[in-house]
Amino acid sequence: MSEQEKGPGGMSRRDFLKLLGAAGTSLAFAPFVPWGKFMPNPSSVTLTKVPVMLPDGTQANLHTFPVNHAEVITYPETADEVLNEEAFRKWQFIRLPEKFGGGRKDVSSFRAYSMICLHLWCLWKYWPEEGRMRGECPCHGSMYDVRTGTSFLGPASVQAPPSNTLAQLDFEADSDGFMFISPPTWGVNDNGVVGYGRFT
Amino acid sequence: MAVSLERRNGLLAFFYWIWNELDRTVFTGIKFSFPARFVSPFGFLGMLTFIMFIILGVTGALLMFYYEPIMTRSWDSVAFINNDVPFGFHLRNIHYHGSNAMVMLAILHMYYQYFSGRYKIRNEVLWVTGVILGTVTILEAFTGYDIIFSERAELAISIAASLTNSIPIAGPMIRELAFGAGFHDFVLRFYAQHVFILPIVMLGLMAVHMPRFLVFDVPMVMAISGAVFLTGGVFPVDLGFKFEPTVPPGITVPEWYLTGLYAFLRTQYDKFLTGVLWPALFIGVLLLTPFLDRYKKFSWKDRPWITAIGITGIAQILVTTYWGFYIPPDTTIPLVERLVIDPINLYLVMILLVPLSFGFTLMMIHLAKDAERKAKLAKANGPKKVSEIKLSIKWTNWMLIALLAFQVFLNIAAYNAFLSGMNNVNLWITGVILIVFAGFFHLYRYAMSQSKNIPKPPKFPTTKQIETSQKSLPQTDGVQKSPEEKSSQGQIAETSAPEIKPTTAELDLNREQNLGMSDLKKP
Repeated sequence: MSEQEKGPGGMSRRDFLKLLGAAGTSLAFAPFVPWGKFMPNPSSVTLTKVPVMLPDGTQANLHTFPVNHAEVITYPETADEVLNEEAFRKWQFIRLPEKFGGGRKDVSSFRAYSMICLHLWCLWKYWPEEGRMRGECPCHGSMYDVRTGTSFLGPASVQAPPSNTLAQLDFEADSDGFMFISPPTWGVNDNGVVGYGRFT
Repeated sequence: MAVSLERRNGLLAFFYWIWNELDRTVFTGIKFSFPARFVSPFGFLGMLTFIMFIILGVTGALLMFYYEPIMTRSWDSVAFINNDVPFGFHLRNIHYHGSNAMVMLAILHMYYQYFSGRYKIRNEVLWVTGVILGTVTILEAFTGYDIIFSERAELAISIAASLTNSIPIAGPMIRELAFGAGFHDFVLRFYAQHVFILPIVMLGLMAVHMPRFLVFDVPMVMAISGAVFLTGGVFPVDLGFKFEPTVPPGITVPEWYLTGLYAFLRTQYDKFLTGVLWPALFIGVLLLTPFLDRYKKFSWKDRPWITAIGITGIAQILVTTYWGFYIPPDTTIPLVERLVIDPINLYLVMILLVPLSFGFTLMMIHLAKDAERKAKLAKANGPKKVSEIKLSIKWTNWMLIALLAFQVFLNIAAYNAFLSGMNNVNLWITGVILIVFAGFFHLYRYAMSQSKNIPKPPKFPTTKQIETSQKSLPQTDGVQKSPEEKSSQGQIAETSAPEIKPTTAELDLNREQNLGMSDLKKP
């Protein structure tokens, strides 16, 4: 533009109009930014204290659950049986072996870790045999310390924290020894994030 | 295509009318040619890839009638399609083998363009969109075999999602935005991406990637389609095991176009490096190829560095692809040790392949140039004798009739196989039918081009007389056709007098190859 059209601030009329145009365009599309919240799936399940239900339909009891044994539990369980099949809702419910203090008659002898291996999200499980007594992933051999849920061997163990420690659930027990899952907080500094990990 | 223009019925006239009216559309820029004789398929591998895309679109759309993208039901719905739905087996196998064919054709297409230097001469946009299109094609194939949600699919989804998760800082967010959380979301969203989002992206890229000159070679298209059908009949794809979240999956390997990546993942190095950065580096180098290649010549023989880099890439892909498949069969070794690939081994081999490939390339260039020189010397000694198959008119007709009879037999056999419930035999025979049709069509176009070898009418002094003789010729002699009407690609020389057909306002693509619809003068 020619020099005559420059205003008092040294800005040409065309530049001023361009600025206004850019501002208008930005404002017109600004309300759509929060629409990105459409993409992550909001969990419709409210996290509450629920009994530990074993696959056979009974509630876990710390007096009867065998030492050095693991079962698969579903949490958070929903009314939708399809969603209950979700691997991200599957946890290894483990009573520690005797040598790690599994004989204690309180919740400290129990662990529940997300079954999603932190390496490539296969489903690991607990192997109670003598000499193993650890979580093993069938895919690439990541191994998890059953006491802490931290990987000590294999590809998951070389991942930087929080991605080397499994998300876990906490328990409570009533006076009869029946066990409950305490409401968890999904965050790397709390119960962890399934498939991502937890800071220890 | 050689269609008898003398006998134009109403329907054909309608099609020609549409064809002409396309002059007002964007398709004016595209120049279609239907080769009247054999041409090397290397030149139109991209078109073959596109044909596969169309076949996949049609079969995929039909599969959508029965497939259910729900975590606990998808495997069962695929099993239902495979085992119970009539021709479901066929469609599933065509869809599966078609996807493999499409990826393979896309890779071949890319490497042909790479070694022949076609990305030069202002074709950079075509090359770059092509590389992106190839990447999206692999993603499309990947999401496709994931949504069956067998054990293998579950592992594949897990790997894809956790690789996304491994991207620093933004990874977990991208993963949650794109894939959601949990396998229920993954299956549903991979499905949405497989059937809609990625195909739309591919169509958009294709609109840019589409070159102005297209070749539609009916026999080759039919032969490739037949090969896909045939493969589906001989190697029907299995269902795998249904994924059960409480049962840890067994050993599986991904599809062949991803085992190379899988080999790197199996070294157990950092998964972001091995699973994201390495492939990104590979794709990035491919994207930049036209800007890195400063050679002025096109042939691979004249661009030793580029050729050597390409050969190195192919060698590494071949080795890692095989390595990713290979799992030591000794079951006494723990699973972990069987799966782990020693990173020192793998990377050492990768590095060793570089000098080997470079040496191989230099050797090949040397040999090729030597052969070229010898061919030139031999040429000086006289014309090279080329053996040709020349069929007489009589034998061509008999061959065509024999192929028709064979088609009839194959049709009966195919239907009989279907009635007997032998789906794979039926699919196999259907593939053979398509390949026989490819041969039939080739013979047909050979015969059609031979038919114009009948001695031409003598030259006429003026154009006016040609006009009159043109019109009288078909009446006097039905067999004899004017050579101009039958002229095909590469025989432009025959149409020395373009004004002999002044009444043809319609588009005659066979006539003047260098003119497109856009070149026609419009009032």
